[in-house]
Amino acid sequence: MLSFIFISICLIVAALGIALLSKIQRLKESADKIATLNLSLEEMDEQAKLIMRTDMELNKAQEELDKKISSLDTLQKLSREINTTLEEKQIFKKINNKHLEALGFERSLAFLWKSLEREFRLYLCLGYGEEDPAKIETAVNANKDFFLDLIHNRSTASSEFAPENFLSQDKVRQLFLTQSFIICPVLTQEGDQGFIFVGTQDIDAAITKGDQEFISILANQIGQTLDNARLFEKTWKSQQELEIKVEERTRQLTQALEEVKKISRRKSDFISSVSHELRTPLTSIKGYAAILLTGKLGALPDEIKTRLEKINRHSDELIQMINDLLDISRIESGKVDMKITSQDLKSVVDKIADLLSEQLKIKDITFSMNIADNCQNILAARGQIERVFINLIGNALKFTPQNGKISVTANRVNNTIQIDVKDTGFGIPQDDQEHIFEEFYRVDNTINQEVKGTGLGLTLVKHIIEAHQGKIWVNSKPGEGSTFSFTLKVAE
Amino acid sequence: MRYILKLAMIISFGFSQLKEHIQAANEAIGQALIGLKDVPASLALIFTSTEFAHSMVLKAANNLLGEIPIFGSSSQMILTNQGAFKYGFAILLINLNQQTFFNTAAVKNINEKTSLSSGEELANKLLYGFKNVHRSLSIIFSDRLITDGTNLINGLQENLGRSFPLLGASASDDFGNQKTFQYVNNELLSESCSGIIFGGKFSFGFGIKHGWMALGKIRSVTAADGNTIKGIDNLPAVKLYEDYLAKDTLELAKELRRISISYPLGIYLQGEKEYLLRNIISIKDDGSLITQGSIPQNSKIRLMISTENSRLKAAIEASEEAKRNLGGQKARFVIIFDSAARLALLGRQNDIELGVIKEVFGKDIQLIGISTNGEQAPLKSINYLGQTYLHNQSINILAIGDQ
Repeated sequence: MLSFIFISICLIVAALGIALLSKIQRLKESADKIATLNLSLEEMDEQAKLIMRTDMELNKAQEELDKKISSLDTLQKLSREINTTLEEKQIFKKINNKHLEALGFERSLAFLWKSLEREFRLYLCLGYGEEDPAKIETAVNANKDFFLDLIHNRSTASSEFAPENFLSQDKVRQLFLTQSFIICPVLTQEGDQGFIFVGTQDIDAAITKGDQEFISILANQIGQTLDNARLFEKTWKSQQELEIKVEERTRQLTQALEEVKKISRRKSDFISSVSHELRTPLTSIKGYAAILLTGKLGALPDEIKTRLEKINRHSDELIQMINDLLDISRIESGKVDMKITSQDLKSVVDKIADLLSEQLKIKDITFSMNIADNCQNILAARGQIERVFINLIGNALKFTPQNGKISVTANRVNNTIQIDVKDTGFGIPQDDQEHIFEEFYRVDNTINQEVKGTGLGLTLVKHIIEAHQGKIWVNSKPGEGSTFSFTLKVAE
Repeated sequence: MRYILKLAMIISFGFSQLKEHIQAANEAIGQALIGLKDVPASLALIFTSTEFAHSMVLKAANNLLGEIPIFGSSSQMILTNQGAFKYGFAILLINLNQQTFFNTAAVKNINEKTSLSSGEELANKLLYGFKNVHRSLSIIFSDRLITDGTNLINGLQENLGRSFPLLGASASDDFGNQKTFQYVNNELLSESCSGIIFGGKFSFGFGIKHGWMALGKIRSVTAADGNTIKGIDNLPAVKLYEDYLAKDTLELAKELRRISISYPLGIYLQGEKEYLLRNIISIKDDGSLITQGSIPQNSKIRLMISTENSRLKAAIEASEEAKRNLGGQKARFVIIFDSAARLALLGRQNDIELGVIKEVFGKDIQLIGISTNGEQAPLKSINYLGQTYLHNQSINILAIGDQ
């Protein structure tokens, strides 16, 4: 019995022992599991730390990248807008809160140094309250030497870096009421320079080198645009002054021209009235001389007859001169009614050649005519154009020596016909060429000394051609001959 | 002062970015008045960037608006249908339902008072004249109270009720030390808190989400006082960030803003799906962390992380929740209080959240809002059930129904 009880107890103890061992085993296993879980948790926590650190770095890189893209984009837009501005004040007005925001700032000021007033003047103020700009301007001028040095030294100051001998960062913060900032000089080639301030109250926004570079680019851009604007203003002012001068000069010239026209009209009127006054007695003189020469009033001694013939001849010359003068003054004053119609150029030239054939024959001068087919018809007043040819061919005849040549050629140049009257005469010295169309101008040569002339022939020719809206000029070389060229309109 | 409104709700929006502030105000108000087509406005909701917070601008607005009550705030960023703007003057003129009531009030010089008493005082002023009116919702603006915003809410809740829906924002920014202002009728206020309470027939729905996810081990706040976390897991609180980001205190301090908005602390709330976020606004010499809003001792906290997608998803969820809570009514307009931190993280793409909100409510929905540094809203958006908390990094969507 006892042994049974003993065995039972042993069995129970053994069972309990086994159970205990099993529990201990399970506890050990649980402890292992907890330790494993704890380890996993610690590992996960370490991973969490890693995630957080990586996330932070990624966020930073992303932010910096975003900022750079945004800044570049803004600078490009701003450059485009500023570049097209040519008014000093408007340049700063182009910068607005959105640009600033995109550059990572919310406050900006721009000052230009006014050398005459010896003070900084505020040109841009963004992101400040209404009372702040005046206060800041006063404070900047109270410290103007520091800012002038900054401009002079072409230095940039920021909340991260202050150049030597510049205001302390805290002083700048206090002055501009802003935590983080960049101050960059606005440099120009000419005129007043200044500086631009940008800032932010965002304490996260640490100023980077990139920020400084961007603001420096912006300041340079402003400086260049200021130069352009000033240059433009200068040019514009000069142009205005020039325009005023030109206007004034034109007014003076117009006035002078009017005066000249007035004088010219008076001269024409004078010539006209004098010519009329002269012609009447001259006609009487010539008439009486002619009557006396006929001998109807009695025979005249030869000496008297010779004198009368001279009177008669000189009267003719005077009448010719007076007629020429009258024609010139009529043409000048527009009193001649030019009946311009289509004329056959060949028949005009033929008629004149025929008229002068005797003289041509006497001097044995060859006369030729070469009129192109498309130049047959000209627009001209018949009587007037005949006078042009009489004068020009007559002159050629007068100044061409024995056995010489005179030719008339006509060629079409666009809608005009150019007619050249060419001779193989003595030619005209260069100095005289520009005066030969002037009234009473006579080239000083032996022919002119021998052969009398009025000195009005070429003047009359010129007036007639101009009355036909044509031009006349001469090409000549002494000893080789002369070519008088003029233009007339084609009759279609 | 209590206003009784007589006409069905009509709204009209105006926005200007003119450089000259008074001209901008005139332009925006002019646009809104023209859009209202001679219907009298009951209320003007004005949001501006800080540059416009000037008495002359408000005077110009008062001159144009006459007796129309004004409620609004300045902020670092203005949100509209057209996008997020760092500079601008936005106004929404509202002609509310005739059975809708509202009251505006403000408490000045809050720096001379406790946040709790300021909250209580504001609640009392808001309730004046509202004794027999069914209260629906209150919107609160505050500044200079980021570090003690929780107590302001507590004070308000003392008098308005724990489950009364309080939505609001602190527009101020302790990081940038940017001063912000509130517009209450003809007063431009700073160092103040202000509010508007709606009652009567008034339909609204709201949703608040952040989109951050917990990462790493759960930690315990072993020593805390208000918004100061002294110890985490019996170590100086800053050790948590030093450890996770492999940076010493000095480096952390230098990049605190970025770190704080990217990796805020999340407080685990019993029974809530979302963690309540807290930004770190400074690090003390003893390694304590100062947070934007309080963290109770023994809180379970974790470091939080987000992606652009998770944040956008949160904006969609908040919008959908606000829309759902309108109970089938069509939203007339949407007020957005969007954390400045979220917008900062989005950078140049800061209007994509507005895009997803429009997708939820329809492209024609009128949006108006500000960037905030601390948002107030119940965690649960089911009306009258959720307790209001001070949030960080959240997007707070308030949809106003067309009733």
